[in-house]
Amino acid sequence: MSQEQRQQWFQRMMESGLEHNMFVPADVLQHATPDVLASNLPPELLSKVLAASLAAGSMTPERVLETVTPEVLAKHLPHDVLWACIAAAAARAGVSTT
Amino acid sequence: MNVKNFLIDALTSALELGLATPDDVMKHVTPEILGTSLPRPLWSRLLIACLGAPKVDAQLVIETVGVQNLCEHVPAPIIFTIVASVAVRTLGGIVPDRPVRTFDSAAAAAPLRATTPLNLSAPPPPEARAERSTPPPPPGPSIPTPSTTPDPDADDASKLPLRARTPTGQRFRQTNTNIGRLASSTRRPQASAGAAEPSTPPKRRAETEVEEVVEEGAKTSDDWRSSLAVEDDQLVDWSASEETQTSTEERKR
Repeated sequence: MSQEQRQQWFQRMMESGLEHNMFVPADVLQHATPDVLASNLPPELLSKVLAASLAAGSMTPERVLETVTPEVLAKHLPHDVLWACIAAAAARAGVSTT
Repeated sequence: MNVKNFLIDALTSALELGLATPDDVMKHVTPEILGTSLPRPLWSRLLIACLGAPKVDAQLVIETVGVQNLCEHVPAPIIFTIVASVAVRTLGGIVPDRPVRTFDSAAAAAPLRATTPLNLSAPPPPEARAERSTPPPPPGPSIPTPSTTPDPDADDASKLPLRARTPTGQRFRQTNTNIGRLASSTRRPQASAGAAEPSTPPKRRAETEVEEVVEEGAKTSDDWRSSLAVEDDQLVDWSASEETQTSTEERKR
């Protein structure tokens, strides 16, 4: 398996999880913490997040994920962080014992 | 929340991308599970396909039944076990068994707070953390999660009863934008006002001008963003005008 395939899979899982309300942006930011985002996102994306929040007047998890899309998450963040988010959502939904 | 649709997407994409194989699915979705989970029409279709195929293997079963039907009828925990096993493999076997380094949004800035209540479950037991082998290094400085239970192995200082959290605003140096000053009702120390002495002495206002200043202050407190441009020198002038007002009243007396 290649890194690209793994990235696509995690992107799809994050998209699907948000689409089907397995987790919400706030749940994602519980794992993709500001610390994680700041350490992994490229500077132009960090500035884009800040610019979008400044333009809107507030920074909410929903607004952060408008810029830090599932594609960006899967591309830049460690996949174990994303998996922790998915596993936690599965545990909340009762489909996982962990 | 639609868990089944999520599982359909996760498993379908894993199979399409070659991260999972039909054998991976059949390791968990055993024929016994299919026997108790699949409805009879699907079983009929599967039997027909198997009977007509030269070779019966996991791929034939998965293709015949379909991922969507599998996720629809097989219990979700079993399907998630497949997804989890694929994740463990793709991540090199290093997978946190539970969320780690979660973000305590209650302690963060107010605008970042979630619109929905966050799941602030209790921290995992020490045994679970010890089992984790070589966790990935944190990308940055980690902030310890506030614990509500005292650690028995900790020193005496940590055994003391937990005290209320102090406001975080006091831990940081105030900026010269004076947002906090405008937001709070506390007065600025007079010592700093004396230190920043303007180059020209403040112009003494007449009595009618004092009311204008008060109205302007009320406007700026309504729209605090516009007050970002206020400099310290101007705030010193404000306090100086207050002194002027006091001196005017004293003169009246």
